[in-house]
Amino acid sequence: MLRINYFLSETITNLRRNFLMTIAAISTVAISLLLLGGVQILGLIVRNVTYTWEAKVEVSVFLLDTATQNEINDIQSTLIGYDEVAEVTFVSKAEAYEEFKRIYRNQPELYETLPEDSLPASFRVKLHNADDAEEIDARIEGAPGVEEARTGGEVIKRLLQVNSLLRTITFAMSLILLIAAAALIANAIRVAIYARRDEIGIMKLVGATNWFIRIPFMLEGVFAALSGALVAGLIVFLGNALLFSRVGDAIQFLGPVLSFSTGELVGVLVLLVGVGIAVGLIGSTLALRRFLEV
Amino acid sequence: MIKLIDVVKEYKGGVAALKGISIDVEKGEFVFVVGPSGSGKSTFLKLLTKEEDPSSGEVYVAGKNLASLPKWRVPYLRRNVGCVFQDFKLLPNKTVFENVAFALEVIGRPRSVIQRQVPQILDLVGLGEKLDRFPDELSGGEQQRVSVARAFVNRPLILVADEPTGNLDPATSVGIMRLLDRINRTGTTIVMATHDHAIVDSMRRRVIELENGLIVRDQSRGIYGVGG
Repeated sequence: MLRINYFLSETITNLRRNFLMTIAAISTVAISLLLLGGVQILGLIVRNVTYTWEAKVEVSVFLLDTATQNEINDIQSTLIGYDEVAEVTFVSKAEAYEEFKRIYRNQPELYETLPEDSLPASFRVKLHNADDAEEIDARIEGAPGVEEARTGGEVIKRLLQVNSLLRTITFAMSLILLIAAAALIANAIRVAIYARRDEIGIMKLVGATNWFIRIPFMLEGVFAALSGALVAGLIVFLGNALLFSRVGDAIQFLGPVLSFSTGELVGVLVLLVGVGIAVGLIGSTLALRRFLEV
Repeated sequence: MIKLIDVVKEYKGGVAALKGISIDVEKGEFVFVVGPSGSGKSTFLKLLTKEEDPSSGEVYVAGKNLASLPKWRVPYLRRNVGCVFQDFKLLPNKTVFENVAFALEVIGRPRSVIQRQVPQILDLVGLGEKLDRFPDELSGGEQQRVSVARAFVNRPLILVADEPTGNLDPATSVGIMRLLDRINRTGTTIVMATHDHAIVDSMRRRVIELENGLIVRDQSRGIYGVGG
């Protein structure tokens, strides 16, 4: 009990003496972890996007209203003949209109003004592998009776590229900031050690163990880093509650993209706290190794 | 209690502080180490707390060979060797009580032990009435008493004093020596480096004289020495 009290009061004294340095360390940890948290959230968003859209990576082959039944049959058998194609579904003009109505059921003004036969009939072509979408698109484009073939694959490909670039950059930035945070923590602890060099000298003299001398300084580093992690975690949680959920509610198609389970958010928080503690320990260890030799 | 065998200590740069000394100190002895500045007195004392390691030779303290003492055991050695310095080394922002209690706190002694032992030891050194004073409110002699109390509160087997009266006037020094003598009578081995002729001559205890890193005299019930 005495020891715990001693360690805590020493830690608090150190933190108060180094108030500005501590604030700097806490903020740096918070910002770097916020970036790291951002990377994680971005990852979740992209996963949601691809999850929602990957199912839709299919080629839609829209038919001319003037296409004859023969032409339609030819197109269908051609599509089925491709090895890359998994499934071909015919969507009639009436079915297309029903689907449109279903998608925009909250905005009836959109379909009420639309003539029931204004949407083209089409084939929905599901593929074994989303990568083949463009190939199929190119082959079927221009066949008799085909108005236009479209693929959603390109969008996702771009998205994944942008995402991986964005993640790499953000991750690198957060790594650099984390190193800076560890250095700041090490510096704060070095200052604390210097301020207490007389006490440390006497502690060594009367036979305090190295760990006894070190623990308050280690705790100082971990405390600073942990505070930063909690600030970052809080911002992530608030950001989710105040921003993402609202945007998701307001803009329908972003809803599923911006919704994360509590488990996922807790996972991000655990990661932030874990990395925070690691940064604190690394910073403290650096300072202690250099300045607290026996 | 203390045994040195052919101890040589060379500092980096080739300065030889000790050039091969052998000393045997029994439990309960009171030993003065005398000699001019630079004769190796302080180096000798630092070997006893493993602040310095010998370049060659062996050092035994309280039955332990310090060369084979792992680093993490050094604090436990120091708990058995109390230290007193010329400049007291008190913490100015702590009271007399806190300065002494600090020595027990940092080796993890329970609060009840601290509450009992600290007033006891401060009574012993004659500062029972000044527990709440700060070091700068005390005379030099009183500060040195606090320092002795801190070194002795943990009842070490050995008390090492490096010129404890160096900053004190003769009358005050006598008081400190009486205190050290009392501590010695409890069975504590005392090794004291000093330049103070009067004290050595009046105490008539064992005197080891160092000169240029060598023992030039080891005399029981000795005096400071001619011309020293």
